[in-house]
Amino acid sequence: MASGVAEHERRTGNSGARVEARGLTRRFGPTLALDDLTLAIEPGETFALLGANGAGKTTFIRLVTGFLVPSAGEVRVDGHSPTREPAAVHGRLGYVMETTRLHPELRVRGFLRFAGGVHGMRGRTLERAVDAAIERFALGPVAERLIGNLSKGTAQRVSLAQAFLHDPPLLIADEPTSGLDPAQQADVREVLRGLRGQRTLILCTHQLEEARTLASRVGVLRRGRLEALGTPEDVLGEGEPLHLFRAAGGAP
Amino acid sequence: MTGLRALVRKELAVLFGAPMAYLTLAFVALVTALLFFDHLRVYNQILFVYTSNQTGGFELGTVPERVNLQDQVFLPLMEQLTVTLIGIIPLVTMRFFAEERARGTDEWLLTSRLSPGAIVAGKFLACFLFVALLLAVSLVYPATSILRSGLGGPHLAVVYAGLLGLGLALAAIGLACSAFASSQLMAAVSAYAVAFLFYDFGWMSPFVSDATGRFLAALSFHERFAGFAEGVVAAADVAYFAGVVAVSAAAARLGLDLARVR
Repeated sequence: MASGVAEHERRTGNSGARVEARGLTRRFGPTLALDDLTLAIEPGETFALLGANGAGKTTFIRLVTGFLVPSAGEVRVDGHSPTREPAAVHGRLGYVMETTRLHPELRVRGFLRFAGGVHGMRGRTLERAVDAAIERFALGPVAERLIGNLSKGTAQRVSLAQAFLHDPPLLIADEPTSGLDPAQQADVREVLRGLRGQRTLILCTHQLEEARTLASRVGVLRRGRLEALGTPEDVLGEGEPLHLFRAAGGAP
Repeated sequence: MTGLRALVRKELAVLFGAPMAYLTLAFVALVTALLFFDHLRVYNQILFVYTSNQTGGFELGTVPERVNLQDQVFLPLMEQLTVTLIGIIPLVTMRFFAEERARGTDEWLLTSRLSPGAIVAGKFLACFLFVALLLAVSLVYPATSILRSGLGGPHLAVVYAGLLGLGLALAAIGLACSAFASSQLMAAVSAYAVAFLFYDFGWMSPFVSDATGRFLAALSFHERFAGFAEGVVAAADVAYFAGVVAVSAAAARLGLDLARVR
């Protein structure tokens, strides 16, 4: 059975999960994608990771989820290693993917049933969770439609719904508003804003406004190195600090 | 177990959510029907010749033992079905892992609570169910005739067990290729290469020693299926097909693990 936030809070005393990286390094051949990253994200924190394309944001996320194995260093979620104890980490994890990473040939309700099923939910518990997610993310009118026929904004709500389905203490969102129109972006941000203090959220984004309004802390990656870390006010200041995104490079 | 069941359901939903599954089933039904009626036509012609000769002066009962439905229609059909399976199954298996990788859905799956072993098991199971359905479709004409004629039921059951073993082995090879391939096309091409290589190693026998030739023959699908075609279930043949499935499953698992460290 999936470990929801309530169960996680009972066990750890925290509603969110703690993520800690120490000397985290990842190479792709000769390319250094992430270089000696040391960072702690506290339970309930909304942490925004900023950086240009290829700065190492997605690599960091993939190391936290265990999709990639570190070349050196380690990362832990509530003390568990994603590579050595994947079940412990994946049970705590909800992953908001880009909309292109959904199954276009599945219907919304069928996909949510599948997502709940792989997280160990079944029977009435699964049906209740699917119904609740459909209601929470206003997916009722499209519940029986194929994902491939949905608008990008609606598909993103499906992606959010599947990530919340098993009520995980850690949510990772990789550019959750990418490609959405302003109204859809506002909807997604509203959902993410509601998580403050309840779950740990790691948000990868290019949107400075998103980081300012949602995050309690911001980290800036450049060429795989953590260049800046602090509150949005301290790191981003006012205006458009484009220098943070310039002179970037490295692997995706 | 719940996660595994969910994955199998999803795989079948994706499979039947595209035309390929229906086209494959229709193709197998069509090919089986055409081959069946062609063999039946030839069988009737042979029977007609013997009957004509009888009327021309041959004694009754001169139709040879081997001129019967089982030997003239069913068994040749089953033999041809093995080649049909080699042609069809890689087209079904190519998408199972390669498509997920191309779309990026593999990342979500591999970061779910399902272990890589369970992911491999779920995909294998879904594919095996489809192969079983393919064979069930191919059984329609032979089974109808068997029921009507009362001939060769147990023999046909053994032949179908062999076809199922071969079909599962081919599916497993296709899935392993899909787990390593960078695209569906590469998955299909590599599965065809391995399947045709293993189908019959007999062509190599003139170039190798007798002992090596016998060893290679023992690795051939054709050789392993031959026992089933004769109505004999040998433990070695069953173990061979099970071994191909197990090795392919291990290879598919390795393919998933390698993607994380590349």
